[in-house]
Amino acid sequence: MSAPSAAPEAGRTGGGPILAAAGVTMQFGGLRALGDVSFDLMEGQIIGLIGPNGAGKTTLFNCLTGLYAPTSGSVSLRGERLPQDPALVTEKGIARTFQNIRLFPSMTAEENVLVGRHVRMKQSPLSSLLHGPKFKRSEAAARVRSGELLNFVGLGRFSDELARNLPYGDQRRLEIARALATDPSVLLLDEPTAGMNAQETEATRQLIFAIRDLGISVVVIEHDTKFIFTLCDRVLVLVQGELLVEGGPDEVRGDPRVVEAYLGAPPEEVEARLYSSAAVDESPGGAHRKEDGP
Amino acid sequence: MTTTSPAGAPPAPRPAGPPPGRTARLIAALGPHATVLRGAGGLLTLIGALLPWATFVLNKGPYPDKATLQYFVAPFGVTGFRWQLLLFGIAALVLALAPVPARGRLLRGLAWGIIGIAVVNGLFITVEGGGLGAITVTDGSVACGAVVTLLAGVLVELGARAGGIEPRPVWTWRFGPWVERAVLVVVYVLMLFVVAATLTSGGTGGAANRYSGAVFLSFLAALGGAFAALHASGLMTWVATVAERHRVFSVLVLLAMALALPLTAAGNEYWMTVAANIGVYAATAIGLNIVVGLAGLLDLGYVAFLGIGAFVAANLSGAAAAKFDVHLPFALVMVISAVIAGMFGAVVGSPTLRVRGDYLAIVTLAFGEIFVRTAQNNIFGLTGGSNAIPGIPQVELFGTRFSDRIAVAGIQLPAGVLYYLLIVFLVAIVMLVFSHLKESRLGRAWIAIREDEDAARAMGIRTGPIKIMAFLCGATLAGFAGAFFAHKTGTVSYESFRFTESVTLIAAVILGGMGTVPGAVLGASLLFVLPEKLREFADYRLLLFGLALILIMRFRPQGLVPDRHRRAELARDPADEPPPGGSTAGSRAEVAA
Repeated sequence: MSAPSAAPEAGRTGGGPILAAAGVTMQFGGLRALGDVSFDLMEGQIIGLIGPNGAGKTTLFNCLTGLYAPTSGSVSLRGERLPQDPALVTEKGIARTFQNIRLFPSMTAEENVLVGRHVRMKQSPLSSLLHGPKFKRSEAAARVRSGELLNFVGLGRFSDELARNLPYGDQRRLEIARALATDPSVLLLDEPTAGMNAQETEATRQLIFAIRDLGISVVVIEHDTKFIFTLCDRVLVLVQGELLVEGGPDEVRGDPRVVEAYLGAPPEEVEARLYSSAAVDESPGGAHRKEDGP
Repeated sequence: MTTTSPAGAPPAPRPAGPPPGRTARLIAALGPHATVLRGAGGLLTLIGALLPWATFVLNKGPYPDKATLQYFVAPFGVTGFRWQLLLFGIAALVLALAPVPARGRLLRGLAWGIIGIAVVNGLFITVEGGGLGAITVTDGSVACGAVVTLLAGVLVELGARAGGIEPRPVWTWRFGPWVERAVLVVVYVLMLFVVAATLTSGGTGGAANRYSGAVFLSFLAALGGAFAALHASGLMTWVATVAERHRVFSVLVLLAMALALPLTAAGNEYWMTVAANIGVYAATAIGLNIVVGLAGLLDLGYVAFLGIGAFVAANLSGAAAAKFDVHLPFALVMVISAVIAGMFGAVVGSPTLRVRGDYLAIVTLAFGEIFVRTAQNNIFGLTGGSNAIPGIPQVELFGTRFSDRIAVAGIQLPAGVLYYLLIVFLVAIVMLVFSHLKESRLGRAWIAIREDEDAARAMGIRTGPIKIMAFLCGATLAGFAGAFFAHKTGTVSYESFRFTESVTLIAAVILGGMGTVPGAVLGASLLFVLPEKLREFADYRLLLFGLALILIMRFRPQGLVPDRHRRAELARDPADEPPPGGSTAGSRAEVAA
C-alpha cells in the first residue's frame, strides 16, 4: 500500500476538536431518533460508534453530513458550523461511505473516484465544451490522483472495471477511495466491514489505520465489536438515540451497561459473556467475528 | 406444456443441471445430423429463391405499370430478395461443409435472415393476395416459394443449434497502422453503400409504389441476418477495436462518408430531404440524450425545445423581422434560437429541484402540452397558430440558395444537397459537444446523478444546478436543430411538435442506446426512416413503435449501440453476458439481508 503523494492537508485546529457535535437531537414526528448527542473528534483520532440496530447510528451520520437537519443542536467542523446540504458539507471536508454500498454501478472504478474529485476540480462549462489545454491539465491531474487513491486502497488493477462487476469487498474499498478523493479531513465509514470475511476485515483495519496516518480523522460505525475495540481510540455507544457510554475501548468493553444494551442478558450471565468475549478478542485472527449480523 | 427452463434463467445454452425440455431434447436428438440439416437448409433456400412466390398478379393498385409484380411472380428472375436468398443459401451450404470458426453462430444469423425474408414477403403476398392460397396453390398454379424458404430457414436454425452454438471468436490481429486504416476505409465505404441501399430499397413509398414497404422490410430482414452473421464471426468486434485504435481517423472517414452520400444511389432530392430531416431529429435526439441518457431525467416534452428554436428562427428570419427590415445572417439566427431554447430549458429544468422520477416526467409532459396549445393559439402572434409561419427564406451563402441544385467539378448534385451537407456538419458538431461534455467533470456529475442521486450529493455534487445544466444543454442543442429545421422546411407549424414527436425522440434514444452518440443517431434514423418507408402502415405506426420498444427492452435492454463500458465488457467476456443491473441488485440484496 503506497500512500498518495499529496496527502490531504492536515487541519489547522491548534488542539481543538476537528469535528464537534453539540446536543444533536433528531425528531421524526413523535419518534426521537437522537437525543442530545454530543461528542468531539480530535485530529487524527479514530472513533467507533456502536449500538444495537435502530440505535440511531446512521441517523447521526446523516446529521453530521447535512443529509438531515437536526431538530436541535449543532455540528461544527474546526469550530465552523456546517451547512445543511450534503454537497456543501463534502466541500468543507467531511466524506462518507454508506451502509448499503452506493457506488455508481455503471461507471468504472476510476470514474467513481473521479466523481469524488468533483469538488476539488475546476472546469467551467465552456472549457468542458472546448477541451482546451487547461481542461486537459485538470483532467490529467484528477486521473493521476484517482490512480493513486485506487492503488492506495489496493484496486489499481481494477481501474477500468465497472463498479458493479467488482467483488463485494472491493466495492467497499472503492467506496472508501471515492470518499478519499474529496480530500476530506474527516471520513465517516458506515459499517465498512459488513459482510466481509476475517481476512477482508483485517485488510480494512489496516486501510483505516493508513487513512488515519494520512492525517484524516475517522468515525466508524460497526456491529463487529472486536473490530471496533482493536481499531478505535475512543468508542461511543448509542442506545435508543442516547449516548450511553463514551470512553476508550477497554473502558467500554468492561462496562456492563453496554453488554446489557447489546444482549439484554441478566447480570450474572453478563459477567460470564463478558469474559468469554474478552478472551476471544485477544486471540489473534480469531474466527469469531460478530456479535450481531449485518 | 413442458417447462423449458426455470423462471428467469436464460433460455439459450443451458448447463446440464435442470431436466431438458422438449426443444432441448429435440436438439440433442438432432445432434448427429447437424451437417445434413444445415446442408439441406442451404439447398432448400436456393430452391425457395428460384420458385414462384405468388399464385396471381398483385398489381391492383392505382399505378399498375409501376407495380413490381414481376418481383414476386417470375421464377428464375434473380432480383431483389431472390438474390439475397441465393447468397444466403450459398453461404449456408459453404458453412455446412467448411470448418469455419463459430459456424453454428454464423448459421444462426443467416437462418434468421432467411426466416425474416420468407415471413415478410410471405405475409405481404398473403395479405395482398387475400389468403393463404396466394402463397400455396390456386387453380393449378403453384407458388410455394415462401413456405419452402421458411422451412429452409427453420432447418438451418435447427441444424445450427444441433451442431452447437460456439462462443463468438475474438480476433486479435494487428497490422501496420496504414493497413488497419485501409481496412477501416474499405469497411466504411461498404457501410456507405449499405446505408444508401437501405434508404433506396423499395423506392419511394406512398400511393405510387405499394410494394415499397414490403421490399424495404424484406431488405431489412436480409440486412439483419447478414449483420448477425458478421457479428457472430467476431469480425465486427475486431473492426470496432481497430476503429477504437484509430479513433480520430475513423471519425474523419465517417464524416467524409456521410458527406459522400449524395454521390450514391441515394443522391436525389427526395432522399436528401429525408436525410436532412433525419439529421434534424438525430441532433435533437443527441440533445435529449444528455437529459435522459446521461442525467437520467425523463423528459416527455422535449420536442418543445425544437419547436422553440424553430419558432424563434422563423420570427427572426421570416416576415416578422422583414417588416422591421432586419435581415440577420443564418448563423446568428441559429445561435439566438439555441440560446433562447436553452433559456427555456433552464426554466423547465428548475422543477427538477423538487420532483424526481415519474413526477418529473409529468411536469415535462405538461410543459410539452402547454407549448403545443400556446403555439396553436398563436400566442403574442409569434407562432402563427393553425396558419403556421410560412415563407421563411432559404439559407443563402455567397448568393447560392441552399435549395438549389448545384454542380461540383462537373457532377450534377441533387437539389437540397447543401442542406444535407449543412446538417451533416451540424450533427457532427452536436456529437462533438455531446462527447466532450460527457468526458468532463460535468458529464461525470450527470452520470453520477443518474446512477444514484443521494450518493452524488454525498460526493459534493450540487445536484440542482447540475440538473438544470443538463436541461439547458439539451435544449440548446434542440434549439440549434430547430433553427435549421425552420429554414429547411420554410414553414413552421405547431403540428410538428406534438407529444408523439417527443415520444418518438425518447424511443429513438432508448432504441439506439442510452448515453451514446451513435445510438441516438441510429435510433433517430430508424424511427424516422421507417415511417417514411412504411407509409401503408401509417395507421399502425405507434402500435409498431410500442412493439419494437417492448422487443428491445426484452432482448437488448442496453439498446442497439451500448455504452463504451458495456462494449468493453462484452469484448472482454464474449461468452458470458451478465444480465444488466442484475449483479448490482444482487449485491444490494446481500447487504440488506
